[in-house]
Amino acid sequence: MQFDDKVPIYYQIKNHIYHEMMTGQLVAGAKLPAVRQLAVDLTVNVNTVQRALGEMIQEGTIESQRGKGNFVTTDTTRIAQLKEQLVVEQLERVYQQLHALNLSDDEIIASLKQYIEQRGQQHD
Amino acid sequence: MTNVLAMNQVSYKRNLKTILHDVDLTLETGKIIGLLGENGAGKTTLMRLITGSAKGKGTVAVSGDTVVANRKSHISFSEQLHGFSNSTKLDEVIAFYQRVYVDFDPKQFTELCTFLQIDTSLKLSSLSKGMKEKVIIALTLARRTNLYLLDEPFSGIDSMSRKKIISSIIKWKPENATMVISDHYVSEIAPILDEIVIVKDQTIYTHRPADSVREEFGVGIEAYYESLYKGGVQHD
Repeated sequence: MQFDDKVPIYYQIKNHIYHEMMTGQLVAGAKLPAVRQLAVDLTVNVNTVQRALGEMIQEGTIESQRGKGNFVTTDTTRIAQLKEQLVVEQLERVYQQLHALNLSDDEIIASLKQYIEQRGQQHD
Repeated sequence: MTNVLAMNQVSYKRNLKTILHDVDLTLETGKIIGLLGENGAGKTTLMRLITGSAKGKGTVAVSGDTVVANRKSHISFSEQLHGFSNSTKLDEVIAFYQRVYVDFDPKQFTELCTFLQIDTSLKLSSLSKGMKEKVIIALTLARRTNLYLLDEPFSGIDSMSRKKIISSIIKWKPENATMVISDHYVSEIAPILDEIVIVKDQTIYTHRPADSVREEFGVGIEAYYESLYKGGVQHD
């Protein structure tokens, strides 16, 4: 995995695991690799992996079972919430950038709609 | 939180020239620290002050021990194999390490050699620069100590070897051991660092968590480090 050195590494590790959860590489209830193995796989520090996982346990997206390891939560409502949160984060970014180009809300909706339609045609 | 290293008001002069002045440095157990600074800033001197092979003013305690002989037993320092003649075979170097260091773990060394693809039947003279660095890393990591000091382990070696060395650090550093890695270019080790220590103006200029640099300034470790040398971080 390639890291952006400008962004905290623990944050990028969280996003990496979120991505695997969203794309189904890590399904609900799946066991995560051991901390050191994750560190080796991602070429990051063990402590940083621990920090990322610690935060995910706190927010309830993964669950820690003593002596057994870490598992993706089986709480599908929580996963749905996470997905919504990730979508909002991306939308917020796009919205802010379009807003900075002086587009009104209506213009933003219109241009997104137009973009998606045109994109669809190109792919047909 | 326990500390593996405590340096207090340490100063060091060579030929009347101040190399390091009033160094206070405390390192916690279990961390990986990037020791950054220009060539000649005093990174190697700092490491030698920690091991006790350089003697300055002030106190240095490693795992609570201030006596040099005791300190050395807590530290695995990446030495450059200068003490061995070129015709020495690696096997002989390994035998020497096993004799001198009671904490040298031959099983772990064999694992490291397999991972780093080191052929121990070779002579020192036939090793490439990159292979020599790998051997030094394997010897250093095969000891079970509280503090590891790696002095510029990446200088002059190819990127594949660098990646291998970084992976072996993640794999084999004991959980409770602290590791200090000195380097003057940082991009490749940046993701594995817990903290950075920057040596500048004959002292510890900065000591802070690596992710705090990214969080507070929104810049990478390398950019932050360079900005300090150019004079001041640009705050938003």
